[in-house]
Amino acid sequence: MLLPGIIFFSCTKNPDVELIPAHKPTPYEITIPFGFPTKLNIPEDNPMTIEGIELGRYLFYDGRISGHADPAKHMSCATCHLQENAFECGIDHPVYINGKTHGVTGIPTPHFMLPLFNQVFNHSGYLWNGFVEVSNSDPMLRNLEALTYMGIIAPHEMNSDTLSAVNAIRAVPGYSELFKKAFGTEEVTIDRMSKAISQFIRTFISANSRFDKYMRGEVQLSPAELSGYVLFVTEEGADCFHCHGGAGNPLFTTHLYYNNGKDSIFNDPRDRFGVTGDPMKRGAYKAPSLRNIEFTAPYMHDGRFRTLDEVIDFYSSGLINSPYIDPLMHHINNDGVQLTPTEKANLKAFLLALSDHDFISNPAFSRPENLP
Amino acid sequence: MKNSILIIIIVPLVILFGWANDGMKLKYLLFIIITASFFSCNDDPDPGPPAPPTGKIVFEFQHLFHNNSVQFDTIRYLNAAGNLMMFTEIQWFISDVTLHYSNGDNYTIKEWKDIHYIDTDIPSTLAWNVFDNIPAGIVDSVTFTFGINEQKNQSFLFVNPPESLMFWPDILGGGYHYLKLNGKWIDNLQRVSPFNFHLGIGQIYDNQGNITGFIQNYFSINPAGPSFNIEQGKTTELIIIMDVDSWFDTPETWDLDYWGGDIMQNQAAMAAACINGKDSFRLSLNID
Repeated sequence: MLLPGIIFFSCTKNPDVELIPAHKPTPYEITIPFGFPTKLNIPEDNPMTIEGIELGRYLFYDGRISGHADPAKHMSCATCHLQENAFECGIDHPVYINGKTHGVTGIPTPHFMLPLFNQVFNHSGYLWNGFVEVSNSDPMLRNLEALTYMGIIAPHEMNSDTLSAVNAIRAVPGYSELFKKAFGTEEVTIDRMSKAISQFIRTFISANSRFDKYMRGEVQLSPAELSGYVLFVTEEGADCFHCHGGAGNPLFTTHLYYNNGKDSIFNDPRDRFGVTGDPMKRGAYKAPSLRNIEFTAPYMHDGRFRTLDEVIDFYSSGLINSPYIDPLMHHINNDGVQLTPTEKANLKAFLLALSDHDFISNPAFSRPENLP
Repeated sequence: MKNSILIIIIVPLVILFGWANDGMKLKYLLFIIITASFFSCNDDPDPGPPAPPTGKIVFEFQHLFHNNSVQFDTIRYLNAAGNLMMFTEIQWFISDVTLHYSNGDNYTIKEWKDIHYIDTDIPSTLAWNVFDNIPAGIVDSVTFTFGINEQKNQSFLFVNPPESLMFWPDILGGGYHYLKLNGKWIDNLQRVSPFNFHLGIGQIYDNQGNITGFIQNYFSINPAGPSFNIEQGKTTELIIIMDVDSWFDTPETWDLDYWGGDIMQNQAAMAAACINGKDSFRLSLNID
């Protein structure tokens, strides 16, 4: 009897209470491409919303986020992360010569860039060494949200501070309404800025290369591309797949860290060993996705290879042995996988089939026509 | 009894309903519906026989070399062929785990998931808290599939890491690696050489090197171990031990200098490895 009674007597309207409408931004649903992971890296405290993504897009492209009064020092995410290069700098950037980036003060970034796409499927850390990962002792440095904060304060990036960044954005009249739509109030905080930008970046899904279309049965790969794919996924071929995926791992990366035989001396304090203290991880770096590899030269964490041909030559006959080389580099004592010129050409043809031209021209990811 | 109470409550309400204005009618209607729902359930039906007693089971996984836990990343292990080795990681699938009871019944783990991934780099995978309610009784033996059987081992079975990282290329048969046992050894030229002891679907090649067929290399294991009792409401912890030395030493001697560092495209090597794998597992009961 209690329940009906409660319902019966609870219906009386109290005209004195004015309810504040709850903030209900529009949820954004990720469409998972064929074969892609279904577990998404979306923090519980930063669900994706249409309004959050819209705000994040503006902030991503807005140089005022750097907090510098001098417009000449303005720097945004998009200053280096260019859509036409799969949100990497690229080798032909007019400012960052040969793809070597630096901050507003000219201090070079420690490593060359990694592109930005399919990060919503990445649960294994960010940056070449995975410094930002779920196991980081600092809760602020465990997910994509950390990268905005880090980019603002890092001397080799925006060289600013969060208060300046917040004040700069707060001073722009148009942003208050965008923050209200995204988060319920007009308050501008670094946390909200990071969350919005991360939401925007998590929409960067690249899954429409020729290889994707081939997997969906929409196109046929050329004989050279198919031969290259066979090389890619066979141990007696180029054996790329153990670290860089394939049909069964269409991210084309494991997001794990390997010493791939580039050096015999290891003095970079920012390798994977520098993060984990595991001596077997000296000289180990994240295996980057090979999607859109055509657009992301130069290659490796130190940008040592300018072209895909140089990379293929390296894996074919340029490997350097060391006690720390990953066992997956099982051709090391032959200096590499020893590809013929035809095999190299076919492997390159396959790698170029991983280019997603729709992704790098998708207007949803492009610079907004007008910033607030 | 319940129906009598229902009549006593509902009839006056229906009479009142006729006198009420529109706003009150809505409230009365809601009250009548909820009250009727509350009292309309019949007495509980015959519950039938009680559910059979069940317990829970947890599988723990250990990787031993000569009865000691494998110490990774250090060259210290000598196999029967004289190869001095180190291991860097062991990753494998177990499936079709079946309990064989003393009364002749069998129970195959099947609910929630029937394939478990073990990765020495991921501690959480080294214990499998089985979701199923396991029938109580004396279990004489356990069998399982090393790897994944042909019916289940299909590409895109797993799309999420870490399992998806075990994919076995379609051109080589598809599905997933049964095992990745990676490491290095001192080869016969005294070089430190990596090895990838990887098992999965094998291939048949013609004289031109074209693949003409595939061979399923998964196999069933009936590991030695004690009988144990699944008790109602209790959790039994069973340890599945992989004797890594046995992959190289028994019943055949596996020589890394002979087979080399990669075997995914070498069915003869994988077949020989699988022969050794069949006695590479045993069970132990965790009674701590």
